[in-house]
Amino acid sequence: MSQEPKIFTLQQVVSSIRKTIEERYNREYWVKAEMHKLGQTRAGHCYPELVQKEDGKIVAEMRGTIWKHSFDRINEQFMAVVKEPLKEDTTLLMKVKVNFHEIYGISLQINDIDPNYALGELQRERAETLKKLQKENLLNANQQVPFPLLPKRIAVISAESSKGLSDFMQTIELNNWNYKFFTMLFPATLQGEKAETTIIAQLERIKRVREHFDIVVIVRGGGGEVGMSCYNNFNLCKAIASFPIPVLTGIGHSTNLTVAEMISYRNAITPTELGDFLIQAFHEFSVPIKDAVKSIKTQTIRLLEVSKLTLSKTSTSFSAVATGALSKEKFVLQEFRNGLHSGALRSLEFNKERVRRLEHSTVSSGRLMIQGQRNGLTRTAEQLPSYSSSYLLKEQNNLDRLVQSIRLMDPINVLNRGFSITTHKGKTINASNKVQLGDKISTRTANFTIESEVTANKEENEQRD
Amino acid sequence: MSKEIKYTEAFEELQQIVADIEDGEISVDELSVKVKRASELIKVCKTKLTSTEEDVNQILKELEE
Repeated sequence: MSQEPKIFTLQQVVSSIRKTIEERYNREYWVKAEMHKLGQTRAGHCYPELVQKEDGKIVAEMRGTIWKHSFDRINEQFMAVVKEPLKEDTTLLMKVKVNFHEIYGISLQINDIDPNYALGELQRERAETLKKLQKENLLNANQQVPFPLLPKRIAVISAESSKGLSDFMQTIELNNWNYKFFTMLFPATLQGEKAETTIIAQLERIKRVREHFDIVVIVRGGGGEVGMSCYNNFNLCKAIASFPIPVLTGIGHSTNLTVAEMISYRNAITPTELGDFLIQAFHEFSVPIKDAVKSIKTQTIRLLEVSKLTLSKTSTSFSAVATGALSKEKFVLQEFRNGLHSGALRSLEFNKERVRRLEHSTVSSGRLMIQGQRNGLTRTAEQLPSYSSSYLLKEQNNLDRLVQSIRLMDPINVLNRGFSITTHKGKTINASNKVQLGDKISTRTANFTIESEVTANKEENEQRD
Repeated sequence: MSKEIKYTEAFEELQQIVADIEDGEISVDELSVKVKRASELIKVCKTKLTSTEEDVNQILKELEE
């Protein structure tokens, strides 16, 4: 027969488990885990989800329990040391006791959380954010955005009830110089866990209408010193650093500067100081304009006075110069007149002298000329007899030569040399006085005249010049 | 944006005119033209300091688009 199996009640089982666990895990342990959700009930107890992640994946998970009295004590310590309440999604060092409950099962009962570890974690997050921003070259990105000459259109990220907001608005609106700012509130949570998402969301909205704004300010104040670690959050800091227009912070606290404040265009310790900074920017625009008005006024007056002075000086000196010039010209004229008189006299005298000299030389040279001519005539008269006898002799010779040549040209001389002249009816025979057979022709020689009749007639073709 | 450029330019032009006048390199003929221009620029800048043109409702309307 088989033995009847032993049957346990559920309560027996869980009691047994509980007993085993209590015996096995009989003391408290320090455990490092991420608190995923705090899960606080109305009664004040918390049932956080504790997880361990590796490469973003959950590799271990367990429910935790923080009784109200523990939670209050832990939170108090946190506020004092970390300046933050217990926050979800952070890694904590917890003093736990493994607890098993018949109904609720196993959980880790958290009796204490080390605030210094949490503080270290926050510092680590802060350092991590800075490192990541540096890696993405965003550390100075917003500080390099050009600042407007007049930061007058302001997108304000704040909470309506914030004391910081009213301080800021009062500073810029109640200024003594009638400077006018345009502000528009983009409400956000300014501390704690929701700050990151709400501020980022408002920055996104502002980006869509950024043409309407010169700068963004994030102001907060009067909310105590807690919940500031959101300003070390990487996503929030990145959104601020990479914003296209300057983002200025005035989130009033006295703890360490947060990353957001470090990377914003400018950080002011309080919202009031931030407002003062903007007023100062207005001054820097306004003062040069006032100076310009003053300078233009004085310089214009000076310039006009200088011109007036120059003009009056010129007109005074003009009369002096004109008078001087006139009298100088008068003097020159007088000099000229004097010169003209004496010059004319001199010239007259000179010419008179010349005439005299001419007169004299004319007389003497006339005499000389007459004498010369007379001498010439005398010489000619003396030479004339000898001239005329030789002249006549020469002319006689010429005449003789002429007679001789004329004699040589007499036809009788030609006939004497044996030539003869034949005529027909008294004219020499040539082309125009031709002879026919039977014609009577007459031939004259030196000593005879012969009459003959033509028996032959031959025409000589030879032409003679 | 165009309005912003206008006052920035006005501011810069004004500074230039002041510099010119202070240098004394301006003739009396030019002076009246320059002074007239300067007073216009001063008006633009002063108006900018003490008035606002933005309209919250317009911005809200654009945000809803």
